[in-house]
Amino acid sequence: MIRRWIMLLAVVSGIGWMSAAVSVPLLIQGAIDHGIVSRNKDELLKWTVAILCAGLAQGTFVGLRRYFAFLVSYSVEADLRNRLFSHLQRLHFAFHDRIQTGQLMSRSASDLTQIQGFVVLVPLTIANILILISVTAVLFVENWRLALLALALLPIIPFMAKLFSAKVFPASMSLQRELGALAEIVEETLSGIRVIKGFGTESHQEKKLKDSSEKVFGNALSAGRIRAHYGPILSFLPLIGLALVLAYGGTQVVNRTIPLGELTAFLLYVNLLIAPLQLPAWIIGQGQRAVASAQRVEELLANLSTIVDPINPKQFPRNGRGEIRFSDAQFSYHHDDEHSPDLEQNYILNKFTLNVVPGSSIALVGPTGCGKTTVARLIPRFYDLSSGRIEIDGIDITKVSLKELRSIIGIVFEETFLFSDTIRANIAFADPRASIDKVMKAAELAGIAEYIESLEDGYDTVIGERGFSLSGGQRQRLALARAIISEPRILILDDATSAVDPTKEQEILGAMRQVMRGRTTIIIAHRPATIALADQVAYMDHGKVLATGTHEELLERFPPYSDLLVTKSSVQ
Amino acid sequence: MKGPNQTSNLLRIARPHRKKIIVILLLTVGWSLSLICGPALVAYAIDQGIRRHSERPVEVAVIGYFASALASGVLFRQVVRSVTNTGERVLQELRVSVFNHILSMPMGFFDSERTGRLVSRMTTDMDALENLIQQGLVQLVSNALLLLITLCVLLIMSPILFLFCLISVPILAAASVWFKRKSAVAYMSVRDAIAQTMTSLQEGLSGVRVIQAFANEDVVVRGFNGQNRAQLLANMRAVSISARYFPVIEAMSVFTTAGIVGIGGYMSYQHLIPIGTVVAFALYMGNLFSPIQQTSQQFDLLQSAGAAFRKLDSLLNIEPPLAEATEPRELNAVGAICFENVTFTYAEEAIPALQDINISIDFGKHVALVGPTGAGKSTIAKLIARFYDPTIGKVSFGGIDLRQASFDSLRRTIVVVTQEAFLFDGTIASNIRMGRPDISDIEVYKAIEEIGGQSIIESIPGGIGANVFEGGSTLSAGEKQIISLARVALIDPRVIILDEATSNLDPATETLVEEALTRLTRGKTLVTIAHRLSTAQRADQVLVVDNGIVAQQGHHDELIQVPGLYSTLNAAWLGVGGSKLD
Repeated sequence: MIRRWIMLLAVVSGIGWMSAAVSVPLLIQGAIDHGIVSRNKDELLKWTVAILCAGLAQGTFVGLRRYFAFLVSYSVEADLRNRLFSHLQRLHFAFHDRIQTGQLMSRSASDLTQIQGFVVLVPLTIANILILISVTAVLFVENWRLALLALALLPIIPFMAKLFSAKVFPASMSLQRELGALAEIVEETLSGIRVIKGFGTESHQEKKLKDSSEKVFGNALSAGRIRAHYGPILSFLPLIGLALVLAYGGTQVVNRTIPLGELTAFLLYVNLLIAPLQLPAWIIGQGQRAVASAQRVEELLANLSTIVDPINPKQFPRNGRGEIRFSDAQFSYHHDDEHSPDLEQNYILNKFTLNVVPGSSIALVGPTGCGKTTVARLIPRFYDLSSGRIEIDGIDITKVSLKELRSIIGIVFEETFLFSDTIRANIAFADPRASIDKVMKAAELAGIAEYIESLEDGYDTVIGERGFSLSGGQRQRLALARAIISEPRILILDDATSAVDPTKEQEILGAMRQVMRGRTTIIIAHRPATIALADQVAYMDHGKVLATGTHEELLERFPPYSDLLVTKSSVQ
Repeated sequence: MKGPNQTSNLLRIARPHRKKIIVILLLTVGWSLSLICGPALVAYAIDQGIRRHSERPVEVAVIGYFASALASGVLFRQVVRSVTNTGERVLQELRVSVFNHILSMPMGFFDSERTGRLVSRMTTDMDALENLIQQGLVQLVSNALLLLITLCVLLIMSPILFLFCLISVPILAAASVWFKRKSAVAYMSVRDAIAQTMTSLQEGLSGVRVIQAFANEDVVVRGFNGQNRAQLLANMRAVSISARYFPVIEAMSVFTTAGIVGIGGYMSYQHLIPIGTVVAFALYMGNLFSPIQQTSQQFDLLQSAGAAFRKLDSLLNIEPPLAEATEPRELNAVGAICFENVTFTYAEEAIPALQDINISIDFGKHVALVGPTGAGKSTIAKLIARFYDPTIGKVSFGGIDLRQASFDSLRRTIVVVTQEAFLFDGTIASNIRMGRPDISDIEVYKAIEEIGGQSIIESIPGGIGANVFEGGSTLSAGEKQIISLARVALIDPRVIILDEATSNLDPATETLVEEALTRLTRGKTLVTIAHRLSTAQRADQVLVVDNGIVAQQGHHDELIQVPGLYSTLNAAWLGVGGSKLD
């Protein structure tokens, strides 16, 4: 694997950097003792050049180490993010129902950053450990008594540093938590600003924020206090080491027991050791965070999709026209939930049986919670049945690949989700390679072509959060065009007109009538005008079909149906 | 609400703390001085003691060394404490004042500003300042001082050697300028790339159902990978800049040391300078170069804080345009709403949203505003609530110009309510009392009873004490609407402006909500932005708004008799199926 080699390069550069850094004080010692004190010009020149060379090496290697360490850590991060994203994209609907987008976002953002932050430290840490070992060795070889004095207090540093990070980490975590709470207040206030202004309760929100900001202040202070406590100790200890070296070493030099250069080198070495001694605590803290993050990421990756392709997928008959058949379908949203076992009352669909004639359209109607939306979600296998089966053109839908199944179904959701992309890309979503003619034809059928062409950039107009904003009706029609671009046999319209201003409903109905032509269509609707588009109406309640017939037939002979519709558009 | 003369400048917030800031600076100077003593004492020990074989100066130096180490510890501690203390206090005050400033903005401000942008002023930007205070401020200030003081000490110790050290300055300065310029651009594109990855991540996750429905996972994943790769490349471009800059600093540090040893050593032959000075210079190099290095590493921190600072400052400089009158008047309890020659143009738009409107709504009348999207219905509603002031003309209630009314009486008299309720974190009761802690639970109950909402609220496990989460995801649409109406009942305003819900309820709940609305608005002026035919039919008066003018007005029964916009809308409303049901 190439990444391992890059990591190796980073570690090797780290070792190169370390060797150069450790050699500098020794070279200075040589220059002082052999060049300056003994007044030897040639020696001085020789040692000076040697220091210059060491500087060159140190600079070169630090750059390489940095570059390779970041390269490997960022590619690990990018790779993990790719894996995570593509994994999440393929997880079943029930998983996405349970988990919040915000949580997934923070897994893919902050958790991966933590891992990156750890990986990048690896080469530096190895180099620093080597510095510790080699400097200690050099000092003891040169003068063990002086070495003992210089290093005596330094082993406390890693402990203090560890104590520091153990204390400062929870403190900064709780600061982060308070900052999160404050952000929530801000977010809530600004999303609800119309209500707050409408009722004139700004002062209450102001007070809420003030209290929260005081909490942030308190937490920030305690984090600061920990820093104020440990920071000085950490920087104080090496200074004591230096003073001890000067005290003992100084008298030694006076008595000519050791040369001046050696004393200087000792002083420089103690300085060189400070950073490597503090680093382990840092990397341990970072390591702990990275491990926790890695576990969370791993947990997500361990979720396997429960909706998968069969081993030997069949194919739908080429000339199929989209006959849909539900036989004894049982379904509950909780059937994989241990806490609520498959009790009869949990079934949202109970022995549900329905046959949709190819090429015809059927409207599913019924009170809230009757299971009509569930029926629509089961056809593209967003969820799997507990028992029973669903067939399309005579083939059990669990026997074909998901791609095959979903490619013959076009769907318009209740809430139109459009991507921040061009209109063309949004329409051609199911078939990204569709020609512009095909896109235009779909737009034409959905009754939005004229509007798109009136825009300055036409089909290349970027829509979405940062782009052009469309009205509810325009979004719906775009969604219709998207649903039919790949010429699906089956069309599912899930409450497609609910978000549309009733005065605009007529325009959409025309478009719907167009796109339904010749396709098996399932319509879920509340409004009479929309329901009337369908050839047949199925009245559902408690997970069963109670009556089927045309709109007029049901109005005549099935009172619950007319009751439902009359209350909807009642004129009081 | 705060007046317009709020803090318009960040420095105004820091000003009351200026004494503390001066103390902090003095402490930092003291701390830097204590750090600088070490090498000078070594030089003293070498030249006065070691070279002359006298132990006394060595002892003095050692004692000095201990003392300076102790002083540096104590001062460092004090500096960190007072910087966090003062910095965090200023930041806390800044948070409160920015938030209050945002809240004091008129409605129109929130139409043009995206919520996300304002949220990030209060979060991302404040966090950038927070990070600076927690992690960088002490170092940045002390590093600058350390650098300066070290240079002074070096100049005093040996001007010649100091001059030599200065040779490295142009190179360092050039490298730093290059780095600052390059990395500013690079960090910016890193931030852009991260924002883009996050956006496509967000979109891929919130749109996952659509993506799977169209079996388009592969294409989306490929697109995301591309985005992700762009982020990696942006990161590496930034790294490759620092991977060129830091070596220059490290190498220059060693080169300068080499030069000091070489040239200083040679000079000591000539007795131009003592050896101790050479050693001290070599030791001082650490003090000289590590501040530069640390500052460059914290450059990003500093830069984000600077950018945040500017954004916050410009936000604070926006003056809220709707001020309370200097001598505010109380609105009368009853009165008609009058528009006299009102023209209104939204800021940054050329065409007026309303043109020369003259209407009068008698007290206690129920009025429906009807018309196509964008015709000006909600603008009329917003002007009644004084979310905006008219560009020309005047809006009055009971004869008093709304501009003269006190904010307080305005808010008690006229309430705007959307039927699709926005719920805050808290309980149902706290949502109904909307932050008026003086209102008891009994009064909350009374308000619910008044609108006949008991059965709905009691059916929620926990009743009015039940927890709701932001957005109210655990409640049904009907429950949310009842809560929203109970809020209004509690205030008992004279005028209710209602933005009607478009969503569908099941029939039983719908009846309850309508009933609640009828009870709530009895004896009050009601202005509804109507989305339903039945609302317009029930109203005492229908105002048909089209293209910024009131095209028609009258009762439903009269209006359908005459050909015009209303009769067209009426036909559309009834639709195919609807007309059959009539």
